[in-house]
Amino acid sequence: MKSFLRLFSSVKLAIVLLIIITLASILGTLILQHRSPAEYADRYGDIANILIRLEITKLYQSLWFSSLLFLFAVNILVCTLSRLSPKLKKAFQPKFETEKKKLLSLKTKASFKKNQNLEKTRDDIQQTLSSKRYRLKTKEEENRVFLLARKRNLGLFGSDIVHLGLLIIILGGIISGWGGFRTNLNISEGESIPVPQADFHLRLDKFVTEYHPNGSVRDWKSTLTVLENGTDVLSKTIEVNHPLSYKGFVFYQSSYGWNWENPTLEIWAKKKNEPAFLEKMELGLGEKVKLGDENIEITVLNFVPDFIIGENNEIATRSLEPNNPAAFIEGWQDEEKVFSGWIFAKFPDFGRMHSDIETDLTFELKDLKAAQYSGIQMSRDPGANFIWVGCTLLMIGLCVAFFWPPREIKVILEESQNKTDVVAGGIATKNREDFQSEFDNVMESIRRLK
Amino acid sequence: MNESTLFLIAFILYIIAAFFYFAFLFSKKDTLAKSGYTFAFTGLIVHSAALILRTIESGHAPFTNMYESLSFFAWSAIFAYVLIEGKFKIKKAGPYLMLIVIGLMALASSPLMPKEATPLVPALQSYWLWLHVSVTLLGEAFFAVGFITSIMYLVADSKEKKGQAGKSSLTAEKLDSISYRTIAIGFPLFTLGGLVFGMVWAYKAWGGYWSWDPKETWSLITWFVFALYLHTRIVMGWKGRRSAFIAIIGFLAALFTYFGVNYLLAGLHSYA
Repeated sequence: MKSFLRLFSSVKLAIVLLIIITLASILGTLILQHRSPAEYADRYGDIANILIRLEITKLYQSLWFSSLLFLFAVNILVCTLSRLSPKLKKAFQPKFETEKKKLLSLKTKASFKKNQNLEKTRDDIQQTLSSKRYRLKTKEEENRVFLLARKRNLGLFGSDIVHLGLLIIILGGIISGWGGFRTNLNISEGESIPVPQADFHLRLDKFVTEYHPNGSVRDWKSTLTVLENGTDVLSKTIEVNHPLSYKGFVFYQSSYGWNWENPTLEIWAKKKNEPAFLEKMELGLGEKVKLGDENIEITVLNFVPDFIIGENNEIATRSLEPNNPAAFIEGWQDEEKVFSGWIFAKFPDFGRMHSDIETDLTFELKDLKAAQYSGIQMSRDPGANFIWVGCTLLMIGLCVAFFWPPREIKVILEESQNKTDVVAGGIATKNREDFQSEFDNVMESIRRLK
Repeated sequence: MNESTLFLIAFILYIIAAFFYFAFLFSKKDTLAKSGYTFAFTGLIVHSAALILRTIESGHAPFTNMYESLSFFAWSAIFAYVLIEGKFKIKKAGPYLMLIVIGLMALASSPLMPKEATPLVPALQSYWLWLHVSVTLLGEAFFAVGFITSIMYLVADSKEKKGQAGKSSLTAEKLDSISYRTIAIGFPLFTLGGLVFGMVWAYKAWGGYWSWDPKETWSLITWFVFALYLHTRIVMGWKGRRSAFIAIIGFLAALFTYFGVNYLLAGLHSYA
């Protein structure tokens, strides 16, 4: 136990761990993370197996990296605690300096004589130092007075507050990793779904996409309603950067898309030789609609939002965006297929019907409607609040450590023949130049006081 | 007067400032350094006007693409230098800092950087963009000043060891202390802007405060290097050369976080 404490109270260990963690973090940014074994084999060849076995391919989630962080946390904890008690002693049980020699060996020091008695000199010094916001303690002896003036004692503990903040952040990280939960929900307008791992439902009332004048997306807005046992509890319109929180779950607007399984298509039929002829139809997949007075029924067999001819001449979709919507339609006459072919919304002249009978009908895919769904990322992160507390402490600690340096002035006064010898020394661990000039000012004004 | 004209005027003023500063470096005439400072300061004011105009024209914070963020980084570096110069009188650092600023401005004006203000993708439309980017770059600007004073320390130190030191009041020891105090300002700013604000924003936009994305990881690596600088210095009493080397590595890591990650590693921060 003792050797454990000795090892973990060493700053050298902290520095070694910090260097190892830094190097490991760099490695993790050089090797792609969370890819398939095939991709690694392709990219790194023979060493792919070693990378996977050493968990370098999921480095930040690996056992060895987590262990390093854990050791580092223990190291921070032991280092901080082992240095805390001397600091507390220094802050709450300060010692007077009784030897002039020690004060004169300091870098910041002063020594002079005043032509006045001990009490007057003591009062002068106390007043001057108090006006500079020093808190004073005095100890009196026969013919001698010891003064201890200090300010910004909190500054002693800046690094401890930083370390406490870091430990809370690491703890928050562990809690997030252990109890956190994230998933994506795709909800269509009007649909309500049970929220995974929760006892309430979520309904999408409305979903809109807003655009900039140049056509790029400005924002997505989803109006969500929380349902408890079938009754509405809470409604909020979420958008990117403005999530909805409920019972520890947070819902973020993350993406959008169309549900292409059952679109409604608007198809216009025209005749080449009869410009006045125009028949408009609205139909879904598999639906048969009679074409006006003609003895023909039209049906849509297939639909893709982003038409592409794949490697084996198969029709496929390049993406789920409606970049090149295309429908495969068939014409039926008396239970017999008479023509079929692809028509394209963006390229109306491109559609060709393969026909068994003579026909001058042409078809255009004029419009399509599909239910849009809103992509919502949900997460429950019980560690997040620890992170915010930790971050707050971290920042307070840093400000205290860097901008609130403790200062200490010790003075010994000795009276002889109605004159008083003044010996003073100052201690500051940071910002010594500023302290030196404050110290010199204080001593100068004490010297001048009459 | 539009934004790009103001940007160009600021650029020219910085170049003139650099000329005066280098003339000062070789002739040792203090008045030249003063002129350099005046030009740099005037440049800073014109540059500020350019940034404000850009914000008004585009309707969003002036650091959403590489051109804007380079321009803002150059502005921050001059701003940090003006503050540090005011406190510590390090005019000798002026010429080198001006070189970095001119480099950043030149990169920003290069045809490789698209300049037109494009509408923001939804994830960037947040006041956290202001807080996260401006505070981070300001912190990095102080690291840049610390980088220069650290290099100057190494030069001054080797001269002093050979007994070639001039009469300059800017001794190696003073440079070492200025480097530390510059980093002592940059470190809290970088922690707040880069890490804390970054985590808050990520949590608000993506639902996770940390995802080990390369940019996040590299900002943590930068933070580790400066944490190393502080601990070796304060607890183990390292000073001088070793400290200076860590400060230099730290700034290079910050620079890699800023540029390198965008071009060499892919991730969530794909926009800037």
